[in-house]
Amino acid sequence: MQGDASDTVLVVGAGPAGLSAAASIAAAGFRPVVVEKEDVLGGAPILSGYAKLVPSGEWAKDAIGRMVARVEQDASTTVFKGTKVTGFEGEPGDFTATLSNGEHVKAGAAILATGFTHFDSINKPEWGFGTYEDVLTTTQMEQMVAGGKIFCPSDGRVPERVAILLCVGSRDRQIGREWCSKICCTVSTNLAMEIKELSPTTDVFIYYMDIRTFGLYEDKFYWKSQEEFKTKFVKARIAEVTTSGDGRLLVKGEDTLVKRPIVIPFDIVVHAIGMDPNEDNPEISKVFGVGLEKHGFIDRAEFYTSTCGTTRRGVFAAGSCYAPETIDDSISQGHAAAARAIAELHALARKKAG
Amino acid sequence: MANYAEMQQIFDDIRSDFRYDHELNGCLNCGVCTATCPSAHFYDYSPREIVQLLWTENVEQIYDAMQEKIWACAQCMTCAARCPFKNSPGGLVAIMREVAIARGLQSAKDVLRPFGRVMLKLITTGNQLSPDMIQPDHFPDWGPNIQKVEGDLKVLRKAIPVKTLQTVDTAWEVSLKTSVEMYTIWEMTGVLKSLEMMDENLFDVIEDFIDEKKEDYEDWLEEQDED
Ligand SMILES: Cc1cc2nc3c(=O)[nH]c(=O)nc-3n(C[C@H](O)[C@H](O)[C@H](O)COP(=O)(O)OP(=O)(O)OC[C@H]3O[C@@H](n4cnc5c(N)ncnc54)[C@H](O)[C@@H]3O)c2cc1C
Ligand code: SF4
Ligand code: SF4
Ligand code: SF4
Repeated sequence: MQGDASDTVLVVGAGPAGLSAAASIAAAGFRPVVVEKEDVLGGAPILSGYAKLVPSGEWAKDAIGRMVARVEQDASTTVFKGTKVTGFEGEPGDFTATLSNGEHVKAGAAILATGFTHFDSINKPEWGFGTYEDVLTTTQMEQMVAGGKIFCPSDGRVPERVAILLCVGSRDRQIGREWCSKICCTVSTNLAMEIKELSPTTDVFIYYMDIRTFGLYEDKFYWKSQEEFKTKFVKARIAEVTTSGDGRLLVKGEDTLVKRPIVIPFDIVVHAIGMDPNEDNPEISKVFGVGLEKHGFIDRAEFYTSTCGTTRRGVFAAGSCYAPETIDDSISQGHAAAARAIAELHALARKKAG
Repeated sequence: MANYAEMQQIFDDIRSDFRYDHELNGCLNCGVCTATCPSAHFYDYSPREIVQLLWTENVEQIYDAMQEKIWACAQCMTCAARCPFKNSPGGLVAIMREVAIARGLQSAKDVLRPFGRVMLKLITTGNQLSPDMIQPDHFPDWGPNIQKVEGDLKVLRKAIPVKTLQTVDTAWEVSLKTSVEMYTIWEMTGVLKSLEMMDENLFDVIEDFIDEKKEDYEDWLEEQDED
C-alpha cells in the first residue's frame, strides 16, 4: 500500500496539466502520486514531438522537459510509468486506487489530467491522408520542423507550395465533431513561419473558415505570419485532395470571393488536426465514476464555486481532458486543481470532527 | 420585376415550407458544397451563395437567384452529404423551385418549357424515356454500342425475356389500373396544378388524355362486373 490519505493526492496523466498539478502539490508540502500510462512523462508535446511552442517559442523538449525534471527530481513525488488506474473506491478524504501493476494507493483526492487524443485523419478520407505520402498532419510537420529540413516524403524534393488545411477533425457535423479545437489556428500560423524560416523558397497557404488566433496571438502569430513570412490566407474549406499525373497534389475547394470552384496544385498538404476527447474516457468515466459531457470530454462541475470539479466529489480535473485547451491554460488549471485537492485532503477528518 | 413586398412574400413562402428548418441550420461559409457541386463547375452557380442568401434573408438577391441560378442545380445532393453543418443546399433549391412554380414566375416557365415533351411522356405513360426516343446521334456518351438500337426496334425488344418490357413507345408496359393510380397521385400531390401554372396548353393536352384513360378504366371495371 502506497500513500496516506491525509497527505496524498493521486494525479492521473503526466502531460502539462498533470505535471503542474504534481509540482503544486509537492510545493505545498503534500505527496503527489503520479500515474502515467506511457513510459515517458510530458504528455502530447513530448509524445508527439512538437517543435517550438506557442506562444513562448521555446522548443517543446526544453520547456516541457523542465516540467518533467521538476517532478521526477522531487523527493516527495512518486511516479508510476506505463501504468493505469483500474479501480477507485472510497470517499472524499479517503480513497483507495488500484493500479494495473497490482499496487494500491491511498489518497485523499484525485486529479484527472488525462488529456486528449489527436484526431485521426484517416476518418476524413477525402482529404487524402493515408492515400498520398505528401499529405501530413500538423504533428508530423512539427516533427519535420524539429528535424530541421522541409521536404516531400514521397521523393525528398523541396516543396514549392505547402497548403495547411484548418479545422481537420473539428467543426464538422458529418464526423460528429462539433467543437473548435482552439489551438490549431495559432499552431498553424506558427508552423507556416517555421516552414518559411527553414525553407525560404517554399510558399505557405492556409485555408480557413475563420481565423481564431485569440487574445494576444493576433499580432504575434496571425499578423506576423503575413507581414514577415508572407503566409497567404485563403478563405475556403477544402473539399477534396487528389493527385495529378505528375504526382503533385491537387486541392479542390471553393474560392469564396468569386464563388467559383477551384483546383490548385500543391507539393505538401498539412492537416491541422483537432483535439478529440481522450479515447480512454469511457474507461476513465467508469473507473472514477465521473460523468462525460455530450462530446465525450470529462464533464465539469458547476464552475464558479467548484472550479476544476467533476461530477464526483473529491475527484478533480485539469487541462485538455475537459475540452480542447492550450498548454498554458492546462498548466494553470493543473495548479488550480491542486489547490482544490489539497483543501479536500482533510475532508474526512472534518467530517468525523462534525 | 417584382416589388419588394412581392419578393418578401416569395421568401416567406420558402421559409414557411415544413422542410426549411431541417435543410438549413446556419452556415460556416466554408464552400465545401460549392467545391463538390457538379453544377458549379459548369454554370455561374454556387450552392454556398444560395444558402448565404437564405440565411441572411436577402430577399432581393433570393428573388434574383430564382430567375435562373436555382435551375442549374442537378439535385444530386452531393452538397448535403458533405456539408460540415449538415445543411442541404440541394434541398433548399428544391423548395425554391417549388415556390417559383407555385407563384408562376415567368422565369420558371421559360426554363421548363423545353422539358414539355419529357413531361408529356412522363405524366401520360409513367416513363421518362422510351426506346423510340433514343437517336444514336443524341447519346455520344453511350459509346459505339448505341448503334445496336438502330436495328428493328420491335424485334430487338421482343428479344427481352420479360413480357412487360417488349414495348417500343414506353420503357415498359404499364397496366390501365396502375396508370389511373398514377394520375391520382399526380393530382393529389399537386403536380398537375403545378403543370397548369407552368404550361396551360400542355396541361390541357394531358388532362384530356387522363380523362380518356379514366373513362377506359371505368368501362373496363363495368365489363368486369357484367362478367
Ligand atoms: C499539433 C498540435 C500542436 C500543439 N501545439 C501547441 C502549442 O504550441 N502551444 C500550446 O499551448 N498548445 C499546443 N497544443 C495543445 C497541447 O497539446 C495541449 O494543450 C496539451 O497537450 C494539454 O495538456 P494535458 O496535460 O491536458 O494533456 P496531454 O498533453 O494529452 O497529457 C495527458 C497525459 O495523460 C496520459 N494519459 C491519458 N490517458 C491516461 C490514462 N487512462 N491513464 C494514465 N495516463 C493517461 C497521456 O499519456 C498523457 O501523458 C497543440 C496541439 C496539437 C494537436
Ligand atoms: S482553432 Fe482554428 S483550425 Fe482549430 S478548430 Fe478552431 S477554427 Fe479550426
Ligand atoms: S444538389 Fe444541386 S447544389 Fe447540391 S451538389 Fe448537387 S447540383 Fe450542386
Ligand atoms: S458546405 Fe454547408 S456550411 Fe459550408 S458553405 Fe456550404 S452550406 Fe455553408
